[in-house]
Amino acid sequence: MNKYTTFSKVQNNALTEPMFFGNPVNVARYDQQKFEIFEKLIEKQLSFFWRPEEVDVSRDRVDFQDLPEHEQHIFISNLKYQTLLDSIQGRSPNVALLPLVSLPELETWIETWAFSETIHSRSYTHIIRNLFNNPSDVFDDIVNNEEILKRADDIAGYYDDLITATQFYQLHGEGDYTHSDGRVETITIRALKRKVYLCMNSVNALEAIRFYVSFACSFAFAERDLLEGNAKIIKLIARDEALHLNATQHILNLWRDGADDPEMAEIAKECEQEAIDIFMRAAQQEKDWAEYLFKDGSMIGLNKDILCQYVEYIANVRMQAIGFKPPFATKSNPIPWINNWLVSDNVQVAPQESEISSYLVGQINSDMDADDLEDFEL
Amino acid sequence: MSKEMVINGETFHASEEQTLLENLEQQGIQTEYQCRDGHCGACQCQLISGSVEYIIEPLAYVRKNHILTCCSKAKSAIELVIPEAKLPLKLTG
Repeated sequence: MNKYTTFSKVQNNALTEPMFFGNPVNVARYDQQKFEIFEKLIEKQLSFFWRPEEVDVSRDRVDFQDLPEHEQHIFISNLKYQTLLDSIQGRSPNVALLPLVSLPELETWIETWAFSETIHSRSYTHIIRNLFNNPSDVFDDIVNNEEILKRADDIAGYYDDLITATQFYQLHGEGDYTHSDGRVETITIRALKRKVYLCMNSVNALEAIRFYVSFACSFAFAERDLLEGNAKIIKLIARDEALHLNATQHILNLWRDGADDPEMAEIAKECEQEAIDIFMRAAQQEKDWAEYLFKDGSMIGLNKDILCQYVEYIANVRMQAIGFKPPFATKSNPIPWINNWLVSDNVQVAPQESEISSYLVGQINSDMDADDLEDFEL
Repeated sequence: MSKEMVINGETFHASEEQTLLENLEQQGIQTEYQCRDGHCGACQCQLISGSVEYIIEPLAYVRKNHILTCCSKAKSAIELVIPEAKLPLKLTG
């Protein structure tokens, strides 16, 4: 791997570079792509652009105040957790992955991805500002609440580990790094590659399992016609998240199938058990979280057991998508109604109608068939 | 026009005008889906035989011999395996 520079003068062909650990990207060109999927994801993500202020959440305040205390706890804890997840996701892909990336389309995808996470973070402020006179009560608790912190360590840990090792490598090259606790770790390119592999699995578990568990809670309120403004925002967030998890699944699958760096295919095999453990730990933490959410009582349509079954169900689906065996016995979706909330309705509606969930920007239909010219005469 | 569609061994006629997912729904067969736009991959299933045509090019990572039902139409008689699908009594008898 060449050391990071903001503009490498090495004349390199990005079509022959690996996704990570090749030459740093120099010219941001998108006319040719090694992996076209990332270019398509960028376009899709841009067409999904939305702003929190477009969604009217003013009715939610009344709904929230009318909720019994244990349901307020479920709602607000869930919102705090979502705020934590997007706080991490709004910055970490950029800090951790941009110094390592070697393809222009992937570099721009990472930036587009992280940017859309910052919109999500802004939307939580939009929601919380509307519900509380003093938003600090909610935000301040995120770094005090032990149940939230328990999981934050696991999520941020893989990013931090990769970022620290990359920084060491950028300064010193391969060598022994002494951690602040005295532990000595040998940093090599291969060690960095292992870290990026594990980090990508942890990110996928975050996006594909953790987020969906929180979506289930948000939508469960809206199924009862409560806090619908919040649900509309979460619907938009879920639509973005489907793209993000798709991208990390693609990266993991490309590595695994040997379509990218052959060394990454070896590492995928070598670290398979560790990666599976990441998913299993995420699933367990989500179940513990369900216990905490419903500690004072359930709500109509959702309780601890149903949410735990959903954790198992979604973990099975996501693990299969990246080539792992489904570890849980749960076969069917215990909350099939969630799918209605996860539909990406790409329907062209007037954008000034703020309550619609999607609209396309600057799209034209340019499909042309030979039949269209059938009755055309010169 | 319709094409023969076999799912988990049960046969019905699928309309070529509709996506495979819409056909499954019309038969009362419950299968997994989410985005209905080809990018989440939730409706991915195994294609045993036949061929499909995509009305939206999938963005999801589609494995070999697999297809997405939400954005494809039957081009020929097709056979699918969807292990977790719930089939209605009128098909299974």
